Amino acid sequence: MRQKLLLIITLMCFCFLQSIAQQKTVTGTVMSKEGTPLSDASVTVVGQKTGVRTGSDGTFSINVPATAKQLTISYVGSETQNITIVNASKVAVVLETNSQALENVVVIGYGSARKKDLTGAVSSVQAKDFNKGTYTAPDQLIQGKAAGVLVINNTGQPGSSTTIRIRGSSSIRSSNNPLFVLDGVPLSGGSARAGGQGDNGTNPLNFMNPNDIASIDILKDASATAIYGSRGANGVVLITTKRGKSGVPQISASASAGISNVMKKLEVLSADEYRKALKDYGLTSGDFGNSVDAFDAITRTAITQNYNVAVGGGTENGRYRISAGYLDQEGIVESTDLKKISANFSSNFKFLENKRLGLDINMLVTQTDENVIFNNSFVGFTGNVIAQALQWNPTHLLIKPGTDSAWIDPAVGSTTVNPLAQLRYFQDKQKVNTVIASISPSYKLTNDLEYKLIYSINRQTGVLREQINRLLNNQGVENRGAATIGNAELTNTQVTNTLNFVKQVTSNLNVNATLGHEYLKYDNRFNFQSAQDFPNVGLNYYDFIGYSTQNSRGIGSGASTTTELQSFFGRAILNYKDRYLITGTYRADGSTRFGKNHRYGYFPSIGIAWNVSQEDFLVNNSLINNLKLRLSYGKTGNQEFPSGASLNRFGFGQQSISQSNYGNEDLKWETSATTNAGIDFSIFNSKLSGSVDYFYKKTTDVLFEQNIVQPAPGGKIWVNLPGNVVNSGVEISLNAAVISKKDLTWNIGGNASFLHNEVNGLVGFYQTGALQGQGFSNVLGQRVVAGQPLNVWYLRRFEGLDKATGQSIYTDGGNTLFYSGSPNPKMLLGLFTDLTYKKFTAAINMNGTFGHYLYNNTAASVLGIGNLGTRNIAKAVLGGSIQEAISNAPAPSTRNLEKGNYLKMANASIGYRVGNIGKTFRDLYISVTGQNLFVITKYTGFDPEVSTEASANGIPSIGVEYVPYPSARTFQIGVNFTL
Amino acid sequence: MKHIKIWLSLFLTIVLFSCTKLDERFRSELEQNNSASITPAQLLTSAYNTLYDYTIQGNLWNASEISSDEAIAPTRGPDWDDNGLWRALHTQAWNADHDYLSGAFNSLLGSEFAASNVLQFNPSVQQAAEARFIRALSMYEVLDGWDQVPYREDLSNYKITPTTLKGVEAADFVVSELNAIMSDLPAAGPAYTANQNAARALLMKVYLNKGVYANRAAPTFAAADMAQVVTLADQITATNKYSVNVKFFDNFAPTNDVTGTENIFTLYNQNGDKGGNVAASTFAVSHYNMNPGGWNGFSTLSEFYDKFEATDQRRGVYYAYPEGLANPGKRQNVGFLIGQQYNLTTDAALQDRKGAPLAFTPTVALRETGNNLEVTGIRVIKYPYDYPHKDAQQNNDYVIFRYADVLLMKAEALLRNGDAAGGLVVVNTLRAVRGATPLLALDPTALYDERGRELYWEGWRRQDQIRFGTFLGVWNGKPATDASRLLFPIPSNQLSVNPNLTQNPGY
Repeated sequence: MRQKLLLIITLMCFCFLQSIAQQKTVTGTVMSKEGTPLSDASVTVVGQKTGVRTGSDGTFSINVPATAKQLTISYVGSETQNITIVNASKVAVVLETNSQALENVVVIGYGSARKKDLTGAVSSVQAKDFNKGTYTAPDQLIQGKAAGVLVINNTGQPGSSTTIRIRGSSSIRSSNNPLFVLDGVPLSGGSARAGGQGDNGTNPLNFMNPNDIASIDILKDASATAIYGSRGANGVVLITTKRGKSGVPQISASASAGISNVMKKLEVLSADEYRKALKDYGLTSGDFGNSVDAFDAITRTAITQNYNVAVGGGTENGRYRISAGYLDQEGIVESTDLKKISANFSSNFKFLENKRLGLDINMLVTQTDENVIFNNSFVGFTGNVIAQALQWNPTHLLIKPGTDSAWIDPAVGSTTVNPLAQLRYFQDKQKVNTVIASISPSYKLTNDLEYKLIYSINRQTGVLREQINRLLNNQGVENRGAATIGNAELTNTQVTNTLNFVKQVTSNLNVNATLGHEYLKYDNRFNFQSAQDFPNVGLNYYDFIGYSTQNSRGIGSGASTTTELQSFFGRAILNYKDRYLITGTYRADGSTRFGKNHRYGYFPSIGIAWNVSQEDFLVNNSLINNLKLRLSYGKTGNQEFPSGASLNRFGFGQQSISQSNYGNEDLKWETSATTNAGIDFSIFNSKLSGSVDYFYKKTTDVLFEQNIVQPAPGGKIWVNLPGNVVNSGVEISLNAAVISKKDLTWNIGGNASFLHNEVNGLVGFYQTGALQGQGFSNVLGQRVVAGQPLNVWYLRRFEGLDKATGQSIYTDGGNTLFYSGSPNPKMLLGLFTDLTYKKFTAAINMNGTFGHYLYNNTAASVLGIGNLGTRNIAKAVLGGSIQEAISNAPAPSTRNLEKGNYLKMANASIGYRVGNIGKTFRDLYISVTGQNLFVITKYTGFDPEVSTEASANGIPSIGVEYVPYPSARTFQIGVNFTL
Repeated sequence: MKHIKIWLSLFLTIVLFSCTKLDERFRSELEQNNSASITPAQLLTSAYNTLYDYTIQGNLWNASEISSDEAIAPTRGPDWDDNGLWRALHTQAWNADHDYLSGAFNSLLGSEFAASNVLQFNPSVQQAAEARFIRALSMYEVLDGWDQVPYREDLSNYKITPTTLKGVEAADFVVSELNAIMSDLPAAGPAYTANQNAARALLMKVYLNKGVYANRAAPTFAAADMAQVVTLADQITATNKYSVNVKFFDNFAPTNDVTGTENIFTLYNQNGDKGGNVAASTFAVSHYNMNPGGWNGFSTLSEFYDKFEATDQRRGVYYAYPEGLANPGKRQNVGFLIGQQYNLTTDAALQDRKGAPLAFTPTVALRETGNNLEVTGIRVIKYPYDYPHKDAQQNNDYVIFRYADVLLMKAEALLRNGDAAGGLVVVNTLRAVRGATPLLALDPTALYDERGRELYWEGWRRQDQIRFGTFLGVWNGKPATDASRLLFPIPSNQLSVNPNLTQNPGY
């Protein structure tokens, strides 16, 4: 105590001595690049610890020793600046937004780390690098932006579901989707969207407003993902939302409006061509004498509007951001749309005199409203509305002359459904409300040790209202009508406790350690009622469902088996001399899903890295600015199998009970052991930087619902297979600052991933890849089998048409099926560039996938020659050297298996930075953006970026195109400004 | 550092305190350990429900009928290719991966399990007997098709591999089961509840085919077995519950729970309650432009059709029934539909989707490539459509055992035991009611044909063809096949997991 007192007195004396030394006063203002005064910025004399802060108008006044030469001005989120004050008493400081500083800190799960301390493979995408345009969900923002990450928009429907694969598919049966974590809140991947019968489902992440997202970090190797244990095997995507910046409140607003059209129309016969084809084939019927383009009739120029406003501000000890968004996206198919209203509130507070107590409160509230059409893949032989339009006889009117009635004319065939009638007489409305609230207090127990709690609730409710008018000639509905009301709810709860220890132990050793406990609970419920037999009285059937006949009514309800996850985890990052880095993580996950013999799974990982450029022989090397070698190994898990699989369960039928399965008490997570070797570099004055990673991921104890030895209930049992799935590959990403001058900057970036996938040691084979359409009942085109890629195509081999008969020739008469290539891309490519010239900006983003095969099920079973005489056919069917027989069966075969290679200009944007207009509008920026501008591909379907639902036997599928909602090409203008 | 240790231990204490036990709780299902509230009646209902896979276009029906000489599922241009599944059935070119065959095998064994499971839950004497009947029926069908019947004695642990009962051994097991439960089954009651006569009918099937199970390629039929068949038939007759129906199609009509005087064992179908997919029997054959519009698929072969006399009501009649359409032209609406078809409400002649007359032709090919491919093939309607419940659950109970079958089995047993005259009397009595002229003599071929005429599309044809040695022969669309086809292949998905199964020869 005495020593401390002495120290204080000494210090006071020192200060006094200082103050009586020769002094001068410097005043000045600190502004942002946009001209906003920055309040609470720190102004210090270089080499001294004391300083002042700017006021709310950005001004400051500081007394400095006459000998002082420089001031340091720093502000959160901005580039720190040193300014010379040798001959100045008044300075104006403009601080640049520090994108570099943000990029140098990476969110790594339960904390963050400096990028240079990372030992794992992590891709980080900042908001400014996101794809340009209007998107409904965050995963679309990073399509093509990160190496090893495949994002497929499954269809062109507004809010369409996506297929996301990080480093390939490693699970056969369970989900291959990565874990998404929103500001520390892990998402279950589920949704309370109730889902109707015409519906393909949409993206469960649609509740997020992409405009609120600041960055997305993708954790890929075990060193990075093992902290997420039994849910880390498919990669982890961390989404960080924007935070308020300290300063006076600022409103930033953006508005955009766009028009969308069909990106590509499939070529079917025009009325005249149809008539000619009828004649060529000697058909006397099928010409109704008119000329109609049904596909035009169901599609439209759609308008998308998107408005966002955000208010942010605060002080260093209390920051907030409130935002609201409204998206109204019309679909390019008539009567489809997605409306989203979202509000986001985030706040960060520091309390107590010593500011040791922190409190973060976040809340997200979203409502999505969708109008969905009948465009499901599993719709039976009369097809979905896209199929009906493509097939519509181009010589037959859609609207009955003299009326407004969508014509159901038996003359065109009783099984032909008028696509306009399908649109008018089918309504499917989906509403989902989401609230995610989290509260996170933290307390700095010591200078180095911080305790943090996150408590969050994710609550969703979904409502489905669906009706099919009695006028529609659908089997089972015609002259009856049908209505369905469905409700679903989802409640997820999270409690996370972490203890963070960050300390510079010695001058050479830094420690960043985390210890944590997490509890998660997932809960789902649903109920529905359906009924038939309604009159047309101008009201919606679902609003008076009680009118229905007793026997037509159906009801159902269910509540999920409780799913709880309890975990203990720890991580230590050691940094020695900034050169040698080691990260160790460990997580123990206990899950209610696991069998009682394996209640806890253990997931360790270790990563080492060597910052070679910090070594004496490379320091200040002009060629190599940064060089880091990384190596990691670890185990991660996947536990995406249904709850209850480890126990014998008895399910309820109508007035009956039956055993639904044999439980497997030994059931556990599947384990992926990943080895990753990577190199990060930047050379030529950091003009060229990039990473190369090699990974080898072997997934064992593969979760699978295997055939059970009969007699047995359910026919299947969940097991951990003795086989394994291997994914290996190389990822390269490069960024080049080609030009970086004051008025002109030009950056080019890109990434390429080369993926290999193989299944080993699986006993027997399993089928999936449900091909659809007339003549395709019970056809499964893909297999999961040892020695082949996952979901390998297994089809008849088409050898052409027989000259004499016009019938298809297949190898071995079609009795033998062949392994015919993989639907999994072997190579992923992302290319992007941005250019700034004075006030002009331009950006282009492209992506592509290569080396895989898609099954064009649309061509195979919707537009085949057999339609001629009743319905339309694809133009490509005609004009070959051999005339295909009208009776040739459109059998599933390699005939319609096409290479899926494509390169797409996904989006491009040009903008102009107007700057300030008067005193009100600041930082005004206007832009024009195009999405889906062009595709380079030989694929003949709508869009090679496609994957319609084709799972079978519970095994996911990929690579089938069956009359999807077509992709849109969109042009929009947008304006951003702050007030 | 000292502080850190304190905080750390405090943190760990809090964490351990908040630990959860992680037990799964079911909310829409019951867990085994918690299953005291499950009643055997609930499980028995489920066991009955598993039998719905027997209906037309169900897996077992496809396996038993499309593979035979009385049904064909032609590929009609763009339709019904279905990856060659139907052609493989008709040409008997199936392999161990065939979806419908493996579906049938798995479905039957699923029934076996569901029935066995009833016995774990303290059933009443009758409930146990009903469950064992369902199990015997399923096991019998597996024996008939695949010769190897997996049997799980101990249901408690799935890791115990089931034993496999083969051939005659399996037949003997079914017989012993049926005899054991006979007195516990109800003597009277609805046909959709397992009953003594249903057990007798099943016993007759076993005895009649026992020679086949000993040697499928060259069966011989023991006199004692045939005598059993006759005895059992007489026992059924003696219950005075059944009579040959004057109106053949009453047995299959929507109200056949009342009008079906021949029905011994049926599957319950009731609109507003529950049932199986009996409507598929109409949809599978009905042209798109008929009412109800169907899937325009299955047909019969003209050779089979030609075996009927014109007066035989089984070939098809105008059948007036309360649930039928007005049918002002009194057009034939059941049986074998051939030639021009009519709108049964307005009597207008129907057209196909190309505007040509909707007139079914006798000729049909496995692959239809002509301009008339929509209308080829004679269609078969055995179950009169329940129009008041259009596109909904039909009321027609699905018939498994029928008195006419019992009579023909008796006649066959008499014939095989040398009493052709006795058999002839039985057959001619039946034929008289059906409107067919009496046969002058009875030989195996005549009896075989009569079984075809009586029981067409009821799921027995493959079995009959094997017993009469015709299954490997040649008919429309089908080449001669080798003896391996007398058995279905053990599905590869079971072969790969069950070491007690061996693949049947020839696969």
